Amino acid sequence: MDKLVRTHLPRIAGLAFAGASLLAVSAAQAKEITIWCWDPNFNVAIMKEAGARYTKTHPDVTFNVVDFAKADVEQKLQTGLASGTADALPDIVLIEDYGAQKYLQSFPGAFAPLSGTVDYSGFAPYKVEVMTLDGQVYGMPFDSGVTGLYYRKDYLDQAGFKPEDMQNITWDRFIEIGQEVEAKTGKKMMGLDPNDAGLVRIMMQSAGQWYFDKEGKPNITGNAALKASLETIGKIMSANIYKPANGWSDWVGTFTSGDVASVVTGVWITGTVKAQPDQAGKWGVAPIPALSIEGATHASNLGGSSWYVLESSEEKAEAIDFLNEIYGQDIDFYQTILQDRGAVGSLLAARGGAAYEEADAFFGGEKVWQNFSDLLAKVPSVNYGIFTNEADLAVTAQLPALTQGTPVDEVLQAIDAEIAGQIQ
Amino acid sequence: MVHARRGGIGRYYDVNGWLFVAPALGLIALFMVYPILWSLWMSFQAGRGMTMKFAGFANIVRLWNDPIFIKALTNTMTYFVVQVPIMILLALILASLLNNPRLVGRGLFRTAIFLPCVTSLVAYSVLFKGMFAPDGIVNSTLQAIGIIASPIPWLTHPFWAKTLVIIAITWRWTGYNMIFYLAALQNIDKSIYEVARIDGVPAWARFTHITIPLLKPVILFTTVISTIGTLQLFDEVYNLTEGKGGPSNATLTLSLYIYNLTFRFMPSFGYAATVSYVIVVLVALLAFLQFFLARERDR
Repeated sequence: MDKLVRTHLPRIAGLAFAGASLLAVSAAQAKEITIWCWDPNFNVAIMKEAGARYTKTHPDVTFNVVDFAKADVEQKLQTGLASGTADALPDIVLIEDYGAQKYLQSFPGAFAPLSGTVDYSGFAPYKVEVMTLDGQVYGMPFDSGVTGLYYRKDYLDQAGFKPEDMQNITWDRFIEIGQEVEAKTGKKMMGLDPNDAGLVRIMMQSAGQWYFDKEGKPNITGNAALKASLETIGKIMSANIYKPANGWSDWVGTFTSGDVASVVTGVWITGTVKAQPDQAGKWGVAPIPALSIEGATHASNLGGSSWYVLESSEEKAEAIDFLNEIYGQDIDFYQTILQDRGAVGSLLAARGGAAYEEADAFFGGEKVWQNFSDLLAKVPSVNYGIFTNEADLAVTAQLPALTQGTPVDEVLQAIDAEIAGQIQ
Repeated sequence: MVHARRGGIGRYYDVNGWLFVAPALGLIALFMVYPILWSLWMSFQAGRGMTMKFAGFANIVRLWNDPIFIKALTNTMTYFVVQVPIMILLALILASLLNNPRLVGRGLFRTAIFLPCVTSLVAYSVLFKGMFAPDGIVNSTLQAIGIIASPIPWLTHPFWAKTLVIIAITWRWTGYNMIFYLAALQNIDKSIYEVARIDGVPAWARFTHITIPLLKPVILFTTVISTIGTLQLFDEVYNLTEGKGGPSNATLTLSLYIYNLTFRFMPSFGYAATVSYVIVVLVALLAFLQFFLARERDR
């Protein structure tokens, strides 16, 4: 051992020295922009594409796109910001719209304002609003989470349903279809993670309501949309038309494995759906089912996120220039990510592009993008506030009570009490 | 004269001694004392993220009105009250069994039971999550041998999720406690058992009347350690439930709640510090109680 160290140490030291000096040389020439995001089939792949485009015109800038789970990105970012040291943070980070204001308000000065550089008049106004604080706009608007009902045409056909039967249905009808599908094919209608309130959020927003009102005050006990959403989830559970999932990857597995007949979620899932080439042609897309209350629509939103540049980043200038050049101006880029990944961007000019008009062979030649684009215009706008995470947990905490037959009004009161304790 | 010289040497030793421990003391002050005092100061502040202001006892008032905190506290105490006795008793029984010199292959058994302790908390939690999934190996085995008709919802039903956490930590920590007992059992004079056997004392009575009383100091030690461990329970729950303490907050622990308050929710560092002091107070109280109970029995 001792001999090994003595003979090899100089060589190792020399190598390390050479490595360090190499690093120093390359650092002087090239800039590497580190980016955190979370979906390998979606924003990770899109960011890699964006990076490749930028490197083509700016060969001195390279990209390191790091892929984490979404919760890990959020928690790692929060830890880094709280620690006050920038070393552990990336240059650009993806933040979901629900959480944007939380970060902007909790960590003043942590994110670089882009107001002077980016022309925000070209983006969907609701996206810009989410990232505005005290007159400054932070971040580069990215994707919309307009929702759709993805369904397996082959399973539904076996159960005797045509694509027309899936258009503009109610949730009650959806449950009926689900029972029929299970009886005929043995497949569950959908995957459902009882610890994820995503479906509640989709239903609630489709009827124009949110956990919070326009002033940001909790809107729970008098929220007809939330009540109807919880009732619907209760019906789905008692009809047992779902395959339970535990966690995101488990939930994704319910449909990539072909175990369920439909998925109700944001358009960003398209990349994951299309990642199963053996399922090509078997999928169709319809507007989501509607609640049976006043103001109910077939359009909603789930998630959607935007890029933020860290103020402390050493490559801040390059990062901002990169986002502005690709995400702020490159119409062709938006056509590519739409067709390849299903990314419905929020740059308005990109929506007139040819890709939106095209039929998608994976979905059996439907003009899915045009449909999503039309739906996007109909998404009811709501105020996400800054406590969506807390409200989500309060809702999921009460879902089991709901399935055990607790009256919905009591469930709403329990949710209200839990949120009141959280928002301070 | 002699006295003065000795004092000189004494001072020399003193100075050198302190110099030797100074780096360690400096590190302890920096990484233990300072954070403890700082978190105490933080527990009197409130605000969002980095915008914190002095708030007096506002955080303590918030504790009383926070149903999630109450839930986390109840869960933590449930784990403590149910899991620690089961584990301690199991470890004691296993230790006595494996202490039997006539047992064939006891080295193998000892290793097997201790082995869970060397696994990473995260790794085994992830494995348990897979094993206890609706179509995981546990459910399919139980179904195959006909004990249950439909899969047990280990991860999605409040009761079963709590049970799963208890199973997991018992699996992980029983062997750890057993090792302490095995070591202590070596120190019990065999002649005591021989006498008892000659007097016709049955095995169970030997266990309760000889083994347990003689192991009392070790049992006290392991109980205190397990209490602290259970009150700080985090890794297993975090990994089994994707950090949410679900379903329905049924597995949420105080430590996980502190984590959520700091890193998942709107960051309330002050309130999180307050909750962490609740754990400090609880551990201190329970440890004191356990020492007190043990001392009473001495008389």
